[in-house]
Amino acid sequence: MDPSEVEFLAEKEVVKIIPNFSLDKIYLIGGDLGPFNPGLPVDVPVWLALNLKQRQKCRIVPPEWMDVEKLEEIRELERKEDTFTPVPSPYYMELTKLLLNHASDNIPKADEIRTLVKDIWDTRIAKLRLSADSFISQQEAHAKLDNLTLMEINTTRSFLLDTLNCMYKLRSNLQPGSSGGKAQDHQ
Amino acid sequence: MPCERKPMRYGHSEGHTDVCFDDAGKYIVTCGSDGDVRIWESLDDDDPKSINVGEKVYSLALKNGKLVTAASNNTVQIHTFPEGDPDGILTRFTTNATHITYNRSGSRVAAGSSDFMVKVVEMYDSSQQKTLRGHTAPILSVTFDPKDEFLASASCDGSVAVWKIEEQTQVTSWPLLQKSNDVINAKSLCRLAWQPKLLAVPVETTVQLYQRDSWAQVGTLSDDLGTQAINVVAWSPCGKFLAAGSIGGLLTVWDVESKLCVERQKHEKGYTVCGLAWHPSGGQIAYTDTEGCLGVLDGLSSSSSSSSTTASSTTTKVSLWSYMKTPASYDDLFDDDDDRPMDEGISEGARSPAKNPGDEDDDDDLIPATGRARNRSAFLDDENSLDTGSLKQGLDKFVDDDDAGSAIVPPAAVAAPLRPVYDGPMPTPPQKAFQPGSTPAHLMHRFMMWNSVGIVRGYNDDQDNAIDVEFHDTAVHHAMHLTNSLGHTVADLSQEAVLLACPGTDELASKLQCLHFSSWDTNKEWMVDLPKGEDVQALCLGQGWAAAATSALILRLFSIGGVQRELFSLPGPVVCIAGHGEQLLVVYHRGTGFDGEQALGVQLLQFGQKRRQVIHGEPLPLSRKSHLSWLGFTAEGTPCFIDSEGVVRLLNRSLGNMWTPVCNTRDNCKGKSDHYWMVGVHENPQQLRCIPCKGSRYPPTLPRPAVAVLPFKLPLCQTTTEKGQMEEQYWRSVLLHNHYGFLSSSGYEIDEEGQSQAQKEQQELLMKMFALSCKLEREFRSVELAELMTQNVVTLAIRYASRSHRMALAQRLSDLALEKANQLQGEEPQEEEEEEPLQYTRRNTGSGLGRSGSAGGQNRVTNVLDSMMSSSKKPTALLSSSGSTGKLNKTPFLKPLAPRPKTKVQHNSVYVRHKSGFQLWLEDNRRIILADNPDLEETDVIKEAIGRFRTLSADDRLTWTERAKGQSGDVADMKKRKRGEEESRGDKNGQSEADETSAKKKKPVDTSAKLSAFAFNKN
Repeated sequence: MDPSEVEFLAEKEVVKIIPNFSLDKIYLIGGDLGPFNPGLPVDVPVWLALNLKQRQKCRIVPPEWMDVEKLEEIRELERKEDTFTPVPSPYYMELTKLLLNHASDNIPKADEIRTLVKDIWDTRIAKLRLSADSFISQQEAHAKLDNLTLMEINTTRSFLLDTLNCMYKLRSNLQPGSSGGKAQDHQ
Repeated sequence: MPCERKPMRYGHSEGHTDVCFDDAGKYIVTCGSDGDVRIWESLDDDDPKSINVGEKVYSLALKNGKLVTAASNNTVQIHTFPEGDPDGILTRFTTNATHITYNRSGSRVAAGSSDFMVKVVEMYDSSQQKTLRGHTAPILSVTFDPKDEFLASASCDGSVAVWKIEEQTQVTSWPLLQKSNDVINAKSLCRLAWQPKLLAVPVETTVQLYQRDSWAQVGTLSDDLGTQAINVVAWSPCGKFLAAGSIGGLLTVWDVESKLCVERQKHEKGYTVCGLAWHPSGGQIAYTDTEGCLGVLDGLSSSSSSSSTTASSTTTKVSLWSYMKTPASYDDLFDDDDDRPMDEGISEGARSPAKNPGDEDDDDDLIPATGRARNRSAFLDDENSLDTGSLKQGLDKFVDDDDAGSAIVPPAAVAAPLRPVYDGPMPTPPQKAFQPGSTPAHLMHRFMMWNSVGIVRGYNDDQDNAIDVEFHDTAVHHAMHLTNSLGHTVADLSQEAVLLACPGTDELASKLQCLHFSSWDTNKEWMVDLPKGEDVQALCLGQGWAAAATSALILRLFSIGGVQRELFSLPGPVVCIAGHGEQLLVVYHRGTGFDGEQALGVQLLQFGQKRRQVIHGEPLPLSRKSHLSWLGFTAEGTPCFIDSEGVVRLLNRSLGNMWTPVCNTRDNCKGKSDHYWMVGVHENPQQLRCIPCKGSRYPPTLPRPAVAVLPFKLPLCQTTTEKGQMEEQYWRSVLLHNHYGFLSSSGYEIDEEGQSQAQKEQQELLMKMFALSCKLEREFRSVELAELMTQNVVTLAIRYASRSHRMALAQRLSDLALEKANQLQGEEPQEEEEEEPLQYTRRNTGSGLGRSGSAGGQNRVTNVLDSMMSSSKKPTALLSSSGSTGKLNKTPFLKPLAPRPKTKVQHNSVYVRHKSGFQLWLEDNRRIILADNPDLEETDVIKEAIGRFRTLSADDRLTWTERAKGQSGDVADMKKRKRGEEESRGDKNGQSEADETSAKKKKPVDTSAKLSAFAFNKN
């Protein structure tokens, strides 16, 4: 799966905007949106929010978790725990990226938030690598990881699966090879 | 006892303070948490002498030129006075001393400490100490018995104890106070005070008096206004008065004998009073608060008392005499209630009229000293113990004692010590004028206006004095940034203009500035100077006009282009004004409110074609002890206001213009100090748009606050039950759809779809309630509900009743239905006229020419053409409005419904759009034509009909045309009825009916026939 596909999925998340135009309810396949009243917050999917923002038709209200204090708490917890802690949103990384890239003027302390989310991400990816490492080195057959987000799984999936395949091949080739060697010895 | 509260001044940094006078009363001496003792020659002394005695000073005492202080280094130190040289350490504790005091002669000092001990030390030999142990918590305060035999102490363990000093034993102890673990946590400092016979103990909001020797409680002094715990008490030097200072900053003086409160003053900021001292002459009280301020009450009584025993009895008499003569003191009436947000400087001008100038002068000579000197001294130094239990006797005794029975106070005065203080209802400071939707003017960054059109922000800091105007809907206008060189303080914003005003200064007159951005010429701005001395206090914008209320009690109207229009006088100082469309709402002070209430009056004026006053200055019903905090109109034009208790009230036009509470925003608050700041009210959809403010009454400009939406909720009873809920929903729906009636009656376009939907919803609710009460066997109630229903729904109700075998009910309902049907017919002629405008506008919208409302109600001259042009010019606006004219009201602040003068519409629509006389004729005669030629096609029928119509005489044709005009109002009605008829028909197919219902059902069938018959008759 491509990261852009994950981002596409993330764009379905709902975010609050404050429109500066007026429009009646719009009826889309995915559901009804609006009505849009200038100055009154309304819930829309991220893709629409970004589109409107780019056209300067709205202000985006950052999600509740996109707040320096809350993210700091999460970061501390993430650093303290060995396992993965629950994240504020299943698309936290994607949303942060999208919203900060397009609407950083509507989000107070955008830079701090960017750093914090990156910290959380790095911590989690490091954990992920660590657990993959121990998974392989201990030659386990099963492993269970909770609270991983799609994007995180996505970063490691292709590499990990290929590696495991490769290793499996090497291992399974080793056996016939060695037994073959033996057989040769016998002959 | 009129006295003057001098303005307070800063003495120390904030924290605990204490105060005393020197022996001669020449100096005021204070100490505070900054570790300094300051010696003030008077309150106005700008350069008080400072002595540093430690890091913090907890208490001080001064006598015979020796200043004793309790400092944070756990010692009790002596300094010489007034030089301030250190003179050794009197005693030490293991922690700091909390309170120290001299005995009367100044030979001993008692000190209470946080280490639970009380020490009594001889001044001249500090090795002679007596330690009093027994308290189990830090000592709050200590006081000597004036005769040096006893000592009283209060402690955090909740007890007040009396000790015999020589034996170091506890004589008695009362568990009076709330327990706490430290002095700083104690609710009250509980400073005790001892007058020869009475020990005063502040307990909560009262002062309890205990008698020496018997240790019985002989009385309680209390004050109705004192709602907070009393911190300190002090006896006047004469021993007749007791002063107390409370946590809430209330200073009270009682005449102990009569137990009457003779003086009441409030700390100007309401800080906790923690130090209190009488001037040795008794004419002055100095007090300090926990913020380090020093204040003085002056002119309490006229001459010295205890210092000299000769002729001093007159003192009290004179002072009593003087307050008997003076009118009731109004001084304290105007104390600010400190929790008001808007009362900064509310009524500084309202100071007491009652300060008696002659007071200082009418001293000793007024009443010559008589032989009562002895009496006086007896009173002060009496050795006889009194052990009567009852206060009355006790007091009587200590007043006239053994001598001659001549009371100090003449009997007449005793009988009615003449209400020295006015203790009736207290006038409330009138609230200042404000702009609804603005935050207080003293803020550097503030909202000058936040309404449904946009936001006006004012910045007034070092770098910038500017105004930002921002529109919610960028289609109205782009954002503006103005430099505020004139210093505008009030603003309003509408779809057409920004209105600003500044108060006048010495040189410049008050100005009104209007940025008329929707003007079509190049001049987008005008300005008006007000007459000298007249300041704009409130302003508002309507549709095509602006209004400003001024300090001269004049309301000035301007056209939006700057033409001065009418002006009229207001009955009182304005509080705020609001405009919408052609309505102007004015709230002003009707008079003085009492006991925290405001007395506001309201006027609602209607401009436009029929100018009239709708509300004629009736009182504005606010919640108890609250003030107005927002005033305005809903987007649909119904007046609405909110008071400081958060109750939203809406004008109920169908109930004689009464105000109905529709919501309490405080119910939605989580915290006690949270509030909602209103920015707009909408009736359709039912929304209260406001900004949640955590811990404050108004929001800061940054971070940008987000608007929240609150629902309406009528405060009906038992809304948890199903019945209550439905009742609430029903009445809310009725109330919030009142605006349809108003809008149509004042010639506005209305949303018919929404109206019929609302009616449907109401009828559905009625039906549900009907079913519920049927289920509960409440037949009478069912009939009551049925009375509210329309006729069609009554038929449904009848069916419901008969199906659930309630024949009696069904019978009653059928009577009711009959009555309703008759009524309907009776009303029809009036309805015809009333519904006219409604009908025309319906036609108009039905024509598919949606008008773009964005132009915000410029009066158009020719509607149809104009709207076509404007819609083609503004395709986006058209998209949102013409796509669903029915939804116009959902975005009402965007598109305020343009007033549509009836006459103009008539010209355009009646002839062009209306059913012609021929069509009417056709409707009536179609059946005949069809009967004659049963196999004709529709077009042929019309052809045939045209032929026949032409054959009619000219007069006949005219009558038909006339009818078409007159009857047009009924069309909507007829349609409705037809719909109902169809419904009932559909139902009829399903089942066999009780006889009486079928009779009912016929009714709607032939109403239209009746109607036309009626119309015919008229012609």
